[in-house]
Amino acid sequence: MQIHSLELKDYRNYDSLELTFDHQVNVILGENAQGKTNLMEAIYVLGMARSHRTPRDKELIRWDQPFARIRGGLSNRRGPADMEVVFSRRGKKVKVNAIEKKRLSEFVGTCTIVMFAPEDLTLVKGSPQVRRRFLDMELGQINNVYLYHLSQYYKILKQRNQWLKELRERRRDSDDAMLDVMTGQLVDAGAEVLLRRFQFLDKLAQWAAPIHQDISRGREELEVSYDASAEVDRTMTIDELKHALHEAFAGVREQEMRRGTTQAGPHRDDLSFFVNGRNIQTYGSQGQQRTTALSLKLAEIELIYEKTGEYPILLLDDVLSELDDHRQTHLLNAIKGRVQTFVTTTSVDGLDHELLSEAGTYYVEEGTIRERS
Amino acid sequence: MQYPQPIAKLMDSFMRLPGIGPKTAARLAFHVLDMKEDDVLDFARALVSVKRELTYCSVCHHITDTDPCRICDDSSRDRSMICVVEQSKDVIAMEKMKEYTGLYHVLHGAVSPVDGIGPEDIYLPDLLKRLQDEEVQELIVATDPNIEGEATAMYISRLVKPTGIRVTRLAHGLPVGGDLEYADEVTLSKAIEGRREF
Repeated sequence: MQIHSLELKDYRNYDSLELTFDHQVNVILGENAQGKTNLMEAIYVLGMARSHRTPRDKELIRWDQPFARIRGGLSNRRGPADMEVVFSRRGKKVKVNAIEKKRLSEFVGTCTIVMFAPEDLTLVKGSPQVRRRFLDMELGQINNVYLYHLSQYYKILKQRNQWLKELRERRRDSDDAMLDVMTGQLVDAGAEVLLRRFQFLDKLAQWAAPIHQDISRGREELEVSYDASAEVDRTMTIDELKHALHEAFAGVREQEMRRGTTQAGPHRDDLSFFVNGRNIQTYGSQGQQRTTALSLKLAEIELIYEKTGEYPILLLDDVLSELDDHRQTHLLNAIKGRVQTFVTTTSVDGLDHELLSEAGTYYVEEGTIRERS
Repeated sequence: MQYPQPIAKLMDSFMRLPGIGPKTAARLAFHVLDMKEDDVLDFARALVSVKRELTYCSVCHHITDTDPCRICDDSSRDRSMICVVEQSKDVIAMEKMKEYTGLYHVLHGAVSPVDGIGPEDIYLPDLLKRLQDEEVQELIVATDPNIEGEATAMYISRLVKPTGIRVTRLAHGLPVGGDLEYADEVTLSKAIEGRREF
């Protein structure tokens, strides 16, 4: 997949911008706070219909303007596609080839994106939320049905939490039937979510293990495990998953009534990473944690290729300088000639891979961009 | 610019209607200014009369100008069947079909704690009372196929099943006359779930 053009209107600090990209690797150069990350975010939004930095779409609209628009021309296996995302106070609209898509799940996945930013280096060490988000975003863009079940799950969760809260505050008669109904709904959606997470993680781990071994020069064996709040495992069928979730909810019923929130389910699950059998969240070095994050991102690229027959767009936001020479080389060799890549950096010093010398270079300054010819 | 008081007041009234913002409200208000006085009076009377002359049926809670409503009052209808819907609009949709001859029950909403709506806040207790008093054999639950509609449907079925009354749910899946290839994955998977044997 390749992005040929990008057009921004009143997006973040850009009032209007038109860019064309002719190179496989594009380096975006500029001082801090000039708009490099905003540009990367815009490309990300073109694929995911949401920002990787904020859940509030309003922040993407330039100050005091009624709407923000991102347009991108790309070509994939099936031919050219024009993507458009518009944010206004009334919400967002997404279009592919000028046809509006009513469901985001019909839009996400047209342009697959892998982003690697400094936050991703905390994937191993950071909060469980970071890892769940990683799982949901990456899985969502290659599996529309997952995205649907996940959004259903969260809608049910919101209703159920409100119900539990009202039960606790005794604003409702203690009505087991209603809570049972909502638990049933949550279990049905939750089992679908779990089933797809397990399938995805199996694949991801298969790809990540050899990559990790390669980066660590054969010294490290990476394993990924899923920590569930219910007694579930990756061999279970959908009915077995439902049964296990029902048991988990039965076990926390008292606690839920006391606390007034849902105490089990995939929204509380987490991932753990093991290197040579040791959990690296607690026992790993910073280097091991970074290698793990890098292996997972590279595995994702391969997995997307396997699932869609096409390489995603890779966004490297300020992350290249965070990796040592060895990891840098590994990353750049992995993408060479296959993956269209956008790299932001404040300086090209210390980045002297041959790939970067053939790259298109763009300078960002106060919301304007010029291409170096 | 400031609008003269009567225009501003009319615009405010229009803006209380769904889907109307300030621009549409201004357009409508100025259009009213150009209308013949008789037409404006007819319009105003029509507005007042929907409110004054229409009430809700005391049995099924469908909108009506007589109580009980014409459907509940119709002796030719099948009294052993009640179709449960969320809105009066749904009754009208069902009636257009002209195939269903049973009675209705309008809940006026679905259970949605986030919106402050519990089972007692819609006409659900009324439905249960009706089931005790009337000779009903089947309840067709036709609430919307979204999370709130499904929760309401399942709740009703839990409460009613033990009484021996048959509870059914409208099928969901492929639209008639549609092409299979244009159906989205989710609709298709629902259709697979609800497949039937020939």
